[in-house]
Amino acid sequence: MSARVFVCASCGRAVFPRRLLCPDCGGREFRDEQVETATLEDFSDRGQVKLGAVRAPSGPLLIARVEGDPRRGGEVSLDEDGDVPVARA
Amino acid sequence: MVERSNAVIVGAAESPYSRHPPEGTTTESLLADAFVRVLEATGIRREEVDGLGVASFTLAPDRAIDLAWKLGVRPRWLMDDGNGGASGIQLIQHAMRAIDAGDAETVVLLSGDHFTRDDFKALVDDYNRTTAQYLSKIPHGGPNALFAMLTRQQMEVHGLERADYGRIAVAQRRWAGLNPGAVYRDPITLDDYLASPAVVEPLHRLDCVPVVSGADALVLRGPGEGIRIRALRALHNYDGQEGDGLRTGTAEIAGELWRDAGVGPDEMDVISVYDDYPAMALAQLNDLGFVGDGDLSGFLRRRIEEEQLPVNTSGGQLSAGQAGCAGGMIGLVESVLQLQGRAGERQVEDARLAVVTGYGMVLYRYGACANAIVLERP
Ligand SMILES: [Zn+2]
Repeated sequence: MSARVFVCASCGRAVFPRRLLCPDCGGREFRDEQVETATLEDFSDRGQVKLGAVRAPSGPLLIARVEGDPRRGGEVSLDEDGDVPVARA
Repeated sequence: MVERSNAVIVGAAESPYSRHPPEGTTTESLLADAFVRVLEATGIRREEVDGLGVASFTLAPDRAIDLAWKLGVRPRWLMDDGNGGASGIQLIQHAMRAIDAGDAETVVLLSGDHFTRDDFKALVDDYNRTTAQYLSKIPHGGPNALFAMLTRQQMEVHGLERADYGRIAVAQRRWAGLNPGAVYRDPITLDDYLASPAVVEPLHRLDCVPVVSGADALVLRGPGEGIRIRALRALHNYDGQEGDGLRTGTAEIAGELWRDAGVGPDEMDVISVYDDYPAMALAQLNDLGFVGDGDLSGFLRRRIEEEQLPVNTSGGQLSAGQAGCAGGMIGLVESVLQLQGRAGERQVEDARLAVVTGYGMVLYRYGACANAIVLERP
């Protein structure tokens, strides 16, 4: 189980979502990086669904669907549902 | 220093905002109504209009040229802009230069949207490709959940409580009570604000703009009588969506804006900040330098509640409503009316200077667009 972030093939800068050009070096090639765990910086509870801001170790902040019983600042495991990052508390 | 434009704003008008517009209302009918009203307000004949700029989410597949055709206008300058809450100032930024350069003499700028429930859901789910691909399938349910996180973060960083934001909502509703065009005019108290139903904590109903249908219009002309543009600055995508979202691009341009304008925040008689949420209105007031010492809570208590600083004097989007792209023009129309002395019961006495901000286009986490303008009645 993991979710993807995108890493510039030229300079190693990680982004999410993928950009057209690397914000740092302008590189056009990105490779997928699989991220298994991340930090849940914050979340919003919409009732049936929770939305979270998840910080990958390589830097990018992902907006994810949050499952389980989240805690701000806690560690979450990452998965994907299609393109949607899923964070499990 | 950016060269100051010689163009002036000669008129402003609004097609009344409505939660439930009459059967048969369309985006183009609202834009046409705003067009007719602004010509009536200025006494300008349709034949004199040789520039047309339009901002709308729901006009598609039509564009400015469709509108020009159906309105019977023959523009020498024509522009579409879909940059939401930044579109009004964005259109002025282009139109004033077109006038300076002689491309057009009389430019009408229109902005507005008509929403049904389905239209609005489609807008928030397909706002851009990123939203459609990564957010709508969460499902994120529109921007409320994102701005709930930003608001909570602002509360934590600045030691704010919900009641602090309530001061903005209450103050704007007080102004709305003086504006016959606002959709919500009944006064509210801080207790009403606190008791309003939760949407996504910490956001409650009175933190969220009512979606309405409506349209706004401005007319710009070459040198002559009118409202002068002392300064206009913009900076979009300044942090690549990688910041905290609480410092907007306005913070980056504020110094240049005030320097170009030759005046400062303390001299503003009327202030309009883009208020999709109280937290963002507050963020922009801070970015513009109105807070000064960084004590946001004290600012809200003293300047907004006690001194009734004239911020969003139409009631803003929080009380007057958010008519899609017209949210990017509502503050401009209000400021022009104030500077012209045409603001009725809510007229700020002897208003001479106004600042207006634009903000918006939530690309992934928060608004990417920021612009600001300083207006003056000579
Ligand atoms: Zn790179």
